[in-house]
Amino acid sequence: MKVLPSRSNGMVAQVPTRQPATAMIEIDRVSQVFQTSARKDHLALSDISLTIEEGAFVSILGPSGCGKSTLLYIVGGFVSPTSGSAKMKGKTITAPGPDRGPVFQEFALFPWKTVLGNVMYGPRQQGVRDAEAAAQSRALIEMVGLKGYENFFPKELSGGMKQRVALARTLAYHPEVLLMDEPFGALDAHTRTRLQNDLLNIWERDRKTVLFVTHSVDEAVFLSDRIVMMSRSPGRIRQVVDIDLPRPRRRTELLLDPRYQKYVVDIERMFDDGDEAGLNP
Amino acid sequence: MISPTAIGRRIAPLLACIGLLAAWQVAALALKNDSFPTALEAMRAVPAILGDKEALINILASLRRMAIGFAAAVAVSIPLGLLMGRSRAVAAFFNPLLMVIYPVPKAALMPIIMLWLGVGDIAKTLVIFLGVSLPVIYHSFEGAKAVEEKMLWSGAAMGLSAAQRLIRIVLPAALPEILTGCRTGLVLALITMITSEMIARQSGAGNILFNALDMGQYDTVFAMIIIVGAMGIGLDAAFERVRARLVRWSEPQFDMPLSFS
Repeated sequence: MKVLPSRSNGMVAQVPTRQPATAMIEIDRVSQVFQTSARKDHLALSDISLTIEEGAFVSILGPSGCGKSTLLYIVGGFVSPTSGSAKMKGKTITAPGPDRGPVFQEFALFPWKTVLGNVMYGPRQQGVRDAEAAAQSRALIEMVGLKGYENFFPKELSGGMKQRVALARTLAYHPEVLLMDEPFGALDAHTRTRLQNDLLNIWERDRKTVLFVTHSVDEAVFLSDRIVMMSRSPGRIRQVVDIDLPRPRRRTELLLDPRYQKYVVDIERMFDDGDEAGLNP
Repeated sequence: MISPTAIGRRIAPLLACIGLLAAWQVAALALKNDSFPTALEAMRAVPAILGDKEALINILASLRRMAIGFAAAVAVSIPLGLLMGRSRAVAAFFNPLLMVIYPVPKAALMPIIMLWLGVGDIAKTLVIFLGVSLPVIYHSFEGAKAVEEKMLWSGAAMGLSAAQRLIRIVLPAALPEILTGCRTGLVLALITMITSEMIARQSGAGNILFNALDMGQYDTVFAMIIIVGAMGIGLDAAFERVRARLVRWSEPQFDMPLSFS
């Protein structure tokens, strides 16, 4: 895959959270209870409040079972919270909509559609004419590095390629917020690193608001402006950490950067302390 | 270039046919029974039947009933099965009903249906309809149930309504499973077609067969078995071709295709 062009280093890389920011998503005292059996309730999320500013890359980081994906599904409108509310630009979220584009760990591509058919699906649904939707989609497919694979079916692609298609498919209908649910969780380490780099390159072009769920500390620090650390049983916010690292970020430079290393170590320590305190069994 | 294994796969069913006919021929010659003609005698009677106008009209009437019964069953069963697979309320309503109907041999309902609807086309088509419906409903239901939730969420995020998701996501996603049901249904249509004509002896391929049996024309009986069997094999092979084309995007389920295509 060729290296994607990114913004020149000469431009001042502002950390979006520091700009006079407007709230894109407001999560207000959200709790989620799941009925596990006839008489047993499981408190998946407890009293979560969080504001995500426009253009921010925010990761939700936590162990499995901490409800981080559920929180993302609530913002997506796929799941209704038991109590509390989530708002997008001041409007309460009640259903999914094209302003919030999900990318799932399971890819969830339409297997009966080709790569091009998948990416065109959203624009076609929104009434974009065939020729125009095809042209836009081809450009996106090229951007995610899959030029030449337009007429392949998903079953003919590797996991990493499938996730690239899923990202292009979501970007194609221009959501204002990207909701990424452990998008690289099912990929091998090498593919994962490449997709992280490419995601950052793509994101740095237009700086969409991103809500990114992960259980990898490295991934969260590398990508995010802000990390929301969660603990489980019940799922709560433990701490919010602002990641003050310059952009555009280069993986190889960052790995040698003591500030990056400190963030990773600090966050891992915080989770370890939580373990000792019985917060993360 | 066709690989040797591909050639083998193509001619294997043909060899099986020839083997079966040869075994029949040998058995018939050895037994020397009047009611068991040899394969050659039976095959010689095939052109006679197919050349007879009366017989052809009967066979075509059978095929017409079968086509109508099959098409109607598919048209009703696919939407019903898909709705059952995606809605608990619909499933809860229809499941008990289908569980009761499922194990009842549809031919056993024939006397009642004849009593109500006579021995004509309607009664026979209805039995075919019932025979085809259940496997198609079952497979559509299973297919719809197995559709990935995240795929539907992706569609919802693009702005597809619930009805659009059912038609544009659940239906294509469940198609491989639906077509498996249709294939079973097609063979069942042929079986119920013959059975219905066996019970309501008025017209059709089954009628020719059993009339010949009554009159002791055993070569005609066996020739009809060959004709009906060939129809089944032909229909199944044709359907399998269509199926394979429609779902070429899906992950293959079997290594060895169970068909003559």
